[in-house]
Amino acid sequence: MAESRQLEAQLRETAEKLLREKNVSLFVGYEKASLPFRTTPLLLTKTEEAPRLVWNPFCNANLSVYLPRLFLAPADARAAKAAPAPPRVGVVLKGCDSRAVAVLLQEKQVRRENLVLVGIHCPGIVDRRKAEKALGEHQALGAGEDGGGNIRVVVEDGTESTLRREDVLADACLECRSPAPALHDILLGAPGEAARTGTARPGTARTRTAEFESRPLEARWAGFQEVIARCIRCNACRQACPLCYCKTCIFEQNRPRWIGPGTDPSDLALYHLIRAFHLAGRCTECGACERACPMGIDVRLLARKLSAEVEDLYGYRPGESVEATPVLSSFALDDPQDFVTEP
Amino acid sequence: MTEKLLSLANLDPWLARLRERGSVYAPGTDQAGEVALREWPQPEPLVLDYKNFREPPKAFFLPRNQTLLYFRDGKTVELNSAVPETFLFGIRPCDARALALLDRVFLDGDQNDPYYARLREKTTVIALACAQAMPSCFCASVGSGPGDGSGADLLAVALESGLLFRAGSGKGEGLLAEAADLLAEATPAAKREAAERIQGVTAQLTPVPTADSALRLRGSYDSPLWGTAGQKCLGCGTCSFLCPTCHCFDITDEPDRRVRTWDCCAYPQFTLHASGHNPRPTPKERWRQRLMHKFRYAVENFGVPFCAGCGRCIRNCPVSMDLRTVLKELGA
Ligand code: SF4
Ligand code: SF4
Ligand code: SF4
Ligand code: SF4
Repeated sequence: MAESRQLEAQLRETAEKLLREKNVSLFVGYEKASLPFRTTPLLLTKTEEAPRLVWNPFCNANLSVYLPRLFLAPADARAAKAAPAPPRVGVVLKGCDSRAVAVLLQEKQVRRENLVLVGIHCPGIVDRRKAEKALGEHQALGAGEDGGGNIRVVVEDGTESTLRREDVLADACLECRSPAPALHDILLGAPGEAARTGTARPGTARTRTAEFESRPLEARWAGFQEVIARCIRCNACRQACPLCYCKTCIFEQNRPRWIGPGTDPSDLALYHLIRAFHLAGRCTECGACERACPMGIDVRLLARKLSAEVEDLYGYRPGESVEATPVLSSFALDDPQDFVTEP
Repeated sequence: MTEKLLSLANLDPWLARLRERGSVYAPGTDQAGEVALREWPQPEPLVLDYKNFREPPKAFFLPRNQTLLYFRDGKTVELNSAVPETFLFGIRPCDARALALLDRVFLDGDQNDPYYARLREKTTVIALACAQAMPSCFCASVGSGPGDGSGADLLAVALESGLLFRAGSGKGEGLLAEAADLLAEATPAAKREAAERIQGVTAQLTPVPTADSALRLRGSYDSPLWGTAGQKCLGCGTCSFLCPTCHCFDITDEPDRRVRTWDCCAYPQFTLHASGHNPRPTPKERWRQRLMHKFRYAVENFGVPFCAGCGRCIRNCPVSMDLRTVLKELGA
């Protein structure tokens, strides 16, 4: 958007002020990365560094991923005595990122009183892979946004070309239903960004799921196998997920080892099934996993289905409100029971 | 060092001949629309001017899931030894260079790794000089380059009218001799065109001052930059899994076999002791290890950095960390 420049200026001011007035000791935002279509997280402690902050359609990481580790409880009483007080942190959040913070709060992984949440009305972010593919033979040397919200690219021979925003927006953004950060202390930008650019297609996730589900069982299993076949078990999807914060993930436990560390087909399937289950009723559909995957895998294939199930059965959408009882922690007598079968 | 010319018309017949001896892999477009090494022949045409594959070819030599031995009848173990003849046509020079680096680890004297050795011996590597550099490429800064033939049996340079082959090993010389009827003498004009093309791509690279990295990193063990990098790193391991020179592995036992899988220094478990002590307790120490291993310890042990400059770690890091930036800052 034309406004992302203005938003960027407001963001820098906000961060500078928070740090200067000692409201926070750490501010987590984005800065320019070395390659086009990307930004890299910036963990700021000095006011004079605030001008490094950027806000643009390449602010892709879900920064809430950095929060739980800042509030990890010390290992034992001795360590606890020596440990510094947990920091006060300011963090930039898009709509989906703010939902992740809400879940982290519900699950007591972060301290609300230590957080200053700087929400930004999100117009959607670019999936660099889509952008790179759209350029075909050409390669970008630099990229930015034009007044209409489309992506302007300078390619290797110095010529400029424009990529249409809706062709390069991340899937999660095209499918997003609440780009406005529900949870925030400071809110920047104007509502309805995504709607204004005409890119919101909130029904697409369900359409994709329905298409997959319409296939016969064997075809679904084959489809799943095909999707995960390229997985190299690099763990980027898990590490980019703010809700995969377990201190020791089940895939790392080795006394006993539940799952082999490699790419044996059964280990691969288990990796993806278990992650889908562990995130059921929790996943806030930010798509960070998908964008982190170096192999271009549809990491959210199962998650999309589980989100739809949770919403249909329990009317619950994770991260919409901190006060809501998480679906896995609640029980009501009229909960659907028909999945319970006699052994 | 023999040099020969293969006309584009003779490329398929030549690959078909190799195909009679074993599996042939060549660059083609996969289902995801990406150029990758694919078993040849495919209905889709070969692609020679691709940038580089998403994945390096290291899985051909260090499979992601490699059975080392089987347990039979509770006791007997038997080596799993059937290795087919394989030809890799068209990998980029940095990835071939990475194989020369891996050889230093797995084929050096008493450290000979029989599993790697067998796969390396049975696999013929035909590298293809680059047509174009990416902004993340820095091969020339780490002793390689878009026309580097080290690690390959043959280096091919795509010219207007065909391929110029340069033998890099006895195996490569043998291939050229066998295909004599398909090949022509390399003319001075062809050699000149090849040199110009390689120079052209080299000129597109942005240099990274890493040549003296070993010395520079020696004084930087306690640099605050490691903390900054560690704070940002997600510890996922993508950089290392996609790195053509990263080679650390884990060995686990399944009920019937012993398996070797990839491992990575970005993981907390990598150095976790049985006592619970972890000498690299935070991402800071782990990040330092990855860079130090490549740019200091390797230089001290082998005389070369353990990086081929392929840029995959830069392109694929989910939080866009760039080791070039950190190297520059450390040197500043
Ligand atoms: S996959 Fe499951 S066990 Fe592993 S980190 Fe995520 S939630 Fe925890
Ligand atoms: S990021 Fe992609 S390749 Fe890596 S473990 Fe996840 S799905 Fe597999
Ligand atoms: S790919 Fe990036 S985030 Fe992942 S381990 Fe490497 S440097 Fe860290
Ligand atoms: S360290 Fe990075 S640039 Fe160097 S060889 Fe590995 S992946 Fe390529």
